[in-house]
Amino acid sequence: MKLVGGTVYALKIPFAEAFRHSSQDRAWSDAVVLRVVSDSGVEGFGEGLPRSYVTGESVEIMVRRIVEDLWPGVVGRELPAAGPHFDSIDEFIPNPAGGGVIAHNASRAAVELAVADCVYGGAGRSLGLAFPPVRPTVRYSGVITAGSVEQTRKIATQMRLIGLSAVKVKVGLGDDVGRLEAVREVLGPQASLRLDANGAWPPGDALARVAALERFGIDCVEQPIPRGAVVELQRFRAACSIPVMVDESLITMADAEVLIEARAADFFNVRISKCGGMAPSLRIATRALEAGIGVQVGCQVGETAILSSAGRHLAAALPSLAYAEGSFGTLLLAEDVSIDPVRFGHGGAGSLLKGPGLGIRVRTPVLEKYAVRQVELRCC
Amino acid sequence: MINRDYLESQFARNTDELVSCPEFRALEDGSASPDQYDAFIANVIRAHLRSPQIVAFLFALAPPETAESLEENMLEELGRGDEAGTPHPSLLKDLAAAAGLLLGPIEQMAVIDLRRLATEPLLYGTLKENGLAALTQVCAFEWMLSRTSSRVAMALTRHRGLALENLEWFTLHSEVDIQHAEEGLNNLLSYIRYYEFSDDDAQSIVEMALRENLFIKRYFGELSLASVRARGVR
Repeated sequence: MKLVGGTVYALKIPFAEAFRHSSQDRAWSDAVVLRVVSDSGVEGFGEGLPRSYVTGESVEIMVRRIVEDLWPGVVGRELPAAGPHFDSIDEFIPNPAGGGVIAHNASRAAVELAVADCVYGGAGRSLGLAFPPVRPTVRYSGVITAGSVEQTRKIATQMRLIGLSAVKVKVGLGDDVGRLEAVREVLGPQASLRLDANGAWPPGDALARVAALERFGIDCVEQPIPRGAVVELQRFRAACSIPVMVDESLITMADAEVLIEARAADFFNVRISKCGGMAPSLRIATRALEAGIGVQVGCQVGETAILSSAGRHLAAALPSLAYAEGSFGTLLLAEDVSIDPVRFGHGGAGSLLKGPGLGIRVRTPVLEKYAVRQVELRCC
Repeated sequence: MINRDYLESQFARNTDELVSCPEFRALEDGSASPDQYDAFIANVIRAHLRSPQIVAFLFALAPPETAESLEENMLEELGRGDEAGTPHPSLLKDLAAAAGLLLGPIEQMAVIDLRRLATEPLLYGTLKENGLAALTQVCAFEWMLSRTSSRVAMALTRHRGLALENLEWFTLHSEVDIQHAEEGLNNLLSYIRYYEFSDDDAQSIVEMALRENLFIKRYFGELSLASVRARGVR
């Protein structure tokens, strides 16, 4: 089986409600979806979300990288077989470099997922064959976007009604003390609370900012300071009473090794789009667990059902999972792209996806509806 | 505080957004294209074709004091409210025929919508919360329709050339149906009392149920709703 064609969709899917954190305000998803087609007519879908402040990629860069580098590297070649080992898929996908970005990981993730969906889907096998689940359900956390104390209280009440027992609060903007007070009051003493500053705090100030919030019973603080010299994170972690999770500081395997060596983190936030696909994400997560570092399978804000399903497979397969995020579906998007909903339900529960490939059926008309740009890919 | 004024203010805000959105104004002033009129009609049919099933679900959850009202509502939807009654879905099918629209694809979309509703994991822990969310949306539509249906019927008569007898679904839900919408508000408040929701919880579920303008979303589509929001209406 070979790939013979495809389409790149640069999407603009409106959010049901705007999402805000210290790095960005978002009112829509700017996911880039790749549809590939094999010579036997099997489709596969992949997705990446470019973030200039994370990997350095933009939609424009991502589309160009897929069209000019990644697609020529996979089209017309004999596809690997669907087997219990994902290595052959990983080796099949090129690793583009250069171009003035930290890594072309969102682009690579889109291509890797599309190829995997096509290969496993074409064989009638679930991606669970390569990522055998070790838990029957993935439990997702909620995320409270930056906003006023009143808005925070409202969202926390919604989270309580949805039965979410673990919640991450975006901090670094506004009255964080008032917001955390409201969240703890609404969710009660048993709820697990995490902070995410998205690198908003200057290194010299971050410890004081965390100390001010410590009394609310915080389980972990994510990316307190910007991506930069690891020594800053190392110092922060050594002095901080709350476990530290890295996100923007963790993009490549090289980042992971440096962070492990420096003992600069207690948790890694592994996100498939950010880390370049399922194979690199699994490698980073496995290495972290070996080093005694906890793993969160995270998400990019605005992921569609494609990345959500990939995240579900990865999160279900890891031998140890500290937290999972994502699968917000129509809680965030005005419309999702799959026929069957992937969104989590009450208590944050997401069931295993057992259908062929990623386990979802993508509605191409929905991709066309929200595409602000479409590029057709052909066989040379 | 969840009370009648609060609920009406929520419904009124969404209704105001609907009637002031460019797509609705274009329907009324005749500047919409024939395709836009047809898309609107198809969307209305799609949105309401499975109403009897939704109302039947709500009837199953109805508190004793509102069961009769919801039963009546369900029977009306099924065309059994009185001897001359026609099932509401039949009225919508007649509308499709009169407008020259193919019913098959619209019915198929309505079936997919209902299937999706049934397969989406439940957000709340018990049926009482999920029922409140559904009842809120049904009442909101009734409230809006009772205030806009005759305007829509008039627009479709004037600018789309449909005869009034083909617009019976709209006239049934028009201003004469305000009484019905009032009952809906009472039913909603009774439901909240009967199932002993706290104010915070009820308000949170109502707000979640109405967080997007469902009228614009269902009648004109997600992209129209996004444009309205981008212009700062909400």
